[in-house]
Amino acid sequence: MTSAFAALDLELIAMQLFSGVALGAVFVMLALGLSIIFGMLGIVNFAHGNFFMVGAYAGVFVMERTGSFWAALLVGPLMVGALGLLVERFLIRPLAGRSPDDPLLLTFGLGYVLVEGVRILFGSDGLPFATPEELSGVADLGIGYFPIYRLFVVGVVALVLVVLWYGLERTRLGLIVRAGARDPEILRVLGIDIQRLWLWVFGLGIALAALGGVLAAPMRSVNPEMGNVVLGEAFAVTVIGGMGSLMGSVVAGLLVGIVVSMTALVAPEMASIAMFAFMALVLLIRPQGLFGKPGLGV
Amino acid sequence: MNPVPQAPILEVEALGRRFGAFTALEDVSAVFGKERITAIIGPNGAGKSTLFNLLSGALAPTAGRLRFGGRDMTRVPQARFAHLGIARSYQITNVFPRLTAHENLRTAMQARASRYDFWSRRDALSGLAERADALLADIGLAGRRDRPAASLAHGEQRALEIGIALASDPKLLLLDEPTAGMGPEETKEMVALLRRLGETRTILLVEHKMKMILGLSERILVLHHGRLIADGSPAEIQADREVRRVYLGQSGGYGHA
Amino acid sequence: MQTLDQTVVDAPPGAVKPQRAPRVTAGFSRWRAPLSILALLTLPFLLPSQALAVNVLIYGLYAVGYNLLYGYTGLLSFGHAAFFGTGAYVTGIAIGAYGLHPLLAMGLGTVAASALALTVGAVSIRSRGIYFAMVTLALAQLVYYAALQASSWTGGENGLRGFTVSRIGLGPVSLDILDPQVKYLFVLAFVGAALALISRILASPFGAAIEAIRENETRARACGFDVERSKLLAFVLSGLFCGLSGALSAIHLSIVPLDSLAYHTSGMAVVMTLVGGAGTFFGPFVGALVVLVLEDVFSLWTPHWQLALGTVFILFVLFLPRGLWGSALERLSFRRGQS
Repeated sequence: MTSAFAALDLELIAMQLFSGVALGAVFVMLALGLSIIFGMLGIVNFAHGNFFMVGAYAGVFVMERTGSFWAALLVGPLMVGALGLLVERFLIRPLAGRSPDDPLLLTFGLGYVLVEGVRILFGSDGLPFATPEELSGVADLGIGYFPIYRLFVVGVVALVLVVLWYGLERTRLGLIVRAGARDPEILRVLGIDIQRLWLWVFGLGIALAALGGVLAAPMRSVNPEMGNVVLGEAFAVTVIGGMGSLMGSVVAGLLVGIVVSMTALVAPEMASIAMFAFMALVLLIRPQGLFGKPGLGV
Repeated sequence: MNPVPQAPILEVEALGRRFGAFTALEDVSAVFGKERITAIIGPNGAGKSTLFNLLSGALAPTAGRLRFGGRDMTRVPQARFAHLGIARSYQITNVFPRLTAHENLRTAMQARASRYDFWSRRDALSGLAERADALLADIGLAGRRDRPAASLAHGEQRALEIGIALASDPKLLLLDEPTAGMGPEETKEMVALLRRLGETRTILLVEHKMKMILGLSERILVLHHGRLIADGSPAEIQADREVRRVYLGQSGGYGHA
Repeated sequence: MQTLDQTVVDAPPGAVKPQRAPRVTAGFSRWRAPLSILALLTLPFLLPSQALAVNVLIYGLYAVGYNLLYGYTGLLSFGHAAFFGTGAYVTGIAIGAYGLHPLLAMGLGTVAASALALTVGAVSIRSRGIYFAMVTLALAQLVYYAALQASSWTGGENGLRGFTVSRIGLGPVSLDILDPQVKYLFVLAFVGAALALISRILASPFGAAIEAIRENETRARACGFDVERSKLLAFVLSGLFCGLSGALSAIHLSIVPLDSLAYHTSGMAVVMTLVGGAGTFFGPFVGALVVLVLEDVFSLWTPHWQLALGTVFILFVLFLPRGLWGSALERLSFRRGQS
């Protein structure tokens, strides 16, 4: 009798743990984009959550036109990434040389525009985003049954991480990005066009957020306000991991996902509070975050 | 006017600072007090800035001890340094840009007198405004009283920089390249100011202009690769073999090392 | 530099002419609170509704409290809704659930907001620079979700209701708060007192200390200012005034919407302060006036008025970072310098 309960509990815990990883995978996408943009451009993107939301809507849009989830997954983030390029070129670049608060404030204002823009184009109510048929159902992993779609999300994020890692560690461009994140002056000395680099890095960060949005769409409801909710979560993850640290983004993202879903198991009403309390705890012990360098402040 | 104290004002004992695996400063020991003006020299990266940061409390040492007026300062927070009588200036002008010259000095003076009073009027504070005016005249900026610091000429900003350090009426004054970026005329004025200041307090300064150091200081410390390699009078330092080797190896002689 | 505002000058050497100008305007700072109150007395005559005028007062105070931290100490917080909302909720709960006198309830709300500010500040002050904005935002989200979950106290998503204040007894007198004019004067009494207090704080040695920290944190520390403690104190004072504005809003609306703790409300403090002019005494009121009138006008035409709000805000960041009032003052002092 007791052992049956224990087995059930174990399975439940495994389920929740895995849900946490899937949830965390989306946080990883968000925090990575934030961190890449901060590391290179020194900007905190306050519209990041809203780009996530626009990503989800771009997914809806492409799916409606083409009927293909795969097209939505690929084209959606590219569309939003392109929007990111425009934002960098025409709104952020003019602020070069001003206080680091200014791009932050600008992207905060941009958040309003994105939310209202989506409301005008798609309406104020939420939209359904069905799990694609080929990814619905559950799979038996030996320790329990898991939704295939969540497995898929974890897989996609893992793939993105591998590609990013390869790009950063094994290519010339990656070398430049890493050097630039450490000391932008080096790039100037080497005669590299920093502005173009910044442009593409910003676009990449936004595209990652949008990809997170498309991936999350079948798991969360798609509505214009989702971005503002997600922004606080993304910040908590980034602060926990350490601003500008890619490793920190990945570890903290998964960790927070697990903390949230485990809290949901024990005390569901505390789930939404858990990650912020966790952040406060980390801040008290390590103000620079788990992987952050001490003394970072712009 | 307080006379220059004969007892040691500052005692540095096997002081060291590491940043992770990198050792910026190692095993520096020295006693200060008898000399009015002491210069610290050394090639770039020798550890001069680190030493200054340790002496002013901006950094905590990872080894050794620091004593000021007989009191152990090793774990004292930076704000207390100023209250106890150590003040510093910066190599890169580091003033309060949007405050006026007068307000720069008055605010710096206030840091010692009153910090959490939010009821009285700041300009009515026990003669601070007058003292700021007097100091302004001392550093030759009386005519610039109500100009924002950011709008002053470079030499004037350098003078204000030192004025802010003087505002707390320190017993020990740490000056990081006080003549940085100055022309010959401005340098001459600064040297005269330093001489005057040295009559009433102990001054430690980091400088690169060798001729000026030899003429101004009574004692010179030479740092190289984070270690103290020489400590003596200008004549002794000029004769020192090790110092010659370091400097000749670096840039072929004195001048701008 | 104690002009009516904190006049902003970072022009190249020699470009700034007004040698004596700041001394001329120095006397201004003594009069900035009474002048501001006089200006606010005219509001009900200029605006289409009394309710809008009361809103300008309440949000203006909220922005002024915020400006103490952002404009004068240089700390960009994105979590001030936590203090506004806490002030409102505690006031409402004290009246509704415990039948406290409204004034006592407001005092309790303000104290609660300050206590929360002390806690949030203690956690967030240690994170520097741009981190600070993220941490304050996340901590405010924590407060938001806590209020959402504690629905037996707060009413959850429906907001807090059932504590209508119609009369406030002051000894022998009883104020009829439903009379729009009485209500306006009642709110203005608190806002005016707060403004006088803030003006005094800004003119004090502590005001000089936080300005020094805003101007140059490293140097302020080297001069002997305890930067962390001063920042924390500024944070608490800022939370106090924002909490008071929340308490007034609870009395005004007789309801506390959950939204008063939300990200949007935190953002409003930033928007109003910046549009009016950060670091100026009266600017935040100008910002509150402009934003609320804009909302009033635009929301008649379109439900999407926030599109205009966002666009206007972006334009301000790009082209008028000193805000309306800040730019006007700058022009004024520049002209005075020329003549």
